[in-house]
Amino acid sequence: MKKTKKIVVVSLLISLGLVLHLVESFFPISAVVPGAKLGLANIVSLIAISLFGFPAAFQVVIFRVVLGSLLAGTFMTINFYLSFSGGVLSFLLMYLAYYYFKNYFSLIGLSIIGAVAHNTAQITAAYFIIANIGIFYYLPFLILLALPTGFGVGLVSYFTLKHLPYSLTGSNFND
Amino acid sequence: MKIRDILTFYDKILIVFVILVSLVLLLIPFYYFGTSAEGEELILKVQQGDQIVKTVAVANSYQNPIIFKIEGPIGIHTIEVNQGRVRVLEAPAADPLKICKKTGWISREGPIIVCVPNSLSLWLESTNSDIDGMSW
Repeated sequence: MKKTKKIVVVSLLISLGLVLHLVESFFPISAVVPGAKLGLANIVSLIAISLFGFPAAFQVVIFRVVLGSLLAGTFMTINFYLSFSGGVLSFLLMYLAYYYFKNYFSLIGLSIIGAVAHNTAQITAAYFIIANIGIFYYLPFLILLALPTGFGVGLVSYFTLKHLPYSLTGSNFND
Repeated sequence: MKIRDILTFYDKILIVFVILVSLVLLLIPFYYFGTSAEGEELILKVQQGDQIVKTVAVANSYQNPIIFKIEGPIGIHTIEVNQGRVRVLEAPAADPLKICKKTGWISREGPIIVCVPNSLSLWLESTNSDIDGMSW
């Protein structure tokens, strides 16, 4: 794929991630389990990992987190550190799982790994801030909720990749 | 296209593994707190930073609701104790997610209300339990 085209696709993915990040705040599942969310922005991370591999996909995640916090006005506050830790750890685990166990896990498996890692990283980061171990009470609920949301996100990424045109991806996606 | 064509064998193992781990984690609070006994006295503890700034006996809230304010780095929280339950009535505007407010009421040992940006946490403790909330 041409370099220009790659830059365009990566920036499209970043802006899609920002919009999805905004959209998921409309779903009030934080009222069911405190801190829970759908993780829709993970769709673009998964697509970026499958299309481009490490450097570009990492750019997508970093820019999404930084720009998202700039738009929400939370840059360099505790909210930013929480979403940064969750985003980076879940990305790294998803990428490692993709790199080493590509033939074993489908995108659904990768997505569940990312969702569970995201929740664990955020709870751990929050524990270091509030210094109260009672916050781990919510971890099993968050992990249980990460299964259906991760499953859905994985399915969406799978079908999105299947329907992307060859001209956009530069490669045939066949899982 | 069926879902079982997409899911691999290792995906299923992963899902079962995650369910088992979270179920084991779910059981830990029950092991420590047990079921609530008759006539136990609940105490609300409020932690800000790394020190406990306020303790309130929940039993005092049956006559009149107790409402107080806690100040943190990003603003002031209004906390309501009413009929043996506790909630965050008002979260500061500087907290965009307001998770502490969305948590709603807590009325037993185990659940905890947290406001991470303000490093504030609220939880209930039973006076006749041997283990305090910090040790599990």
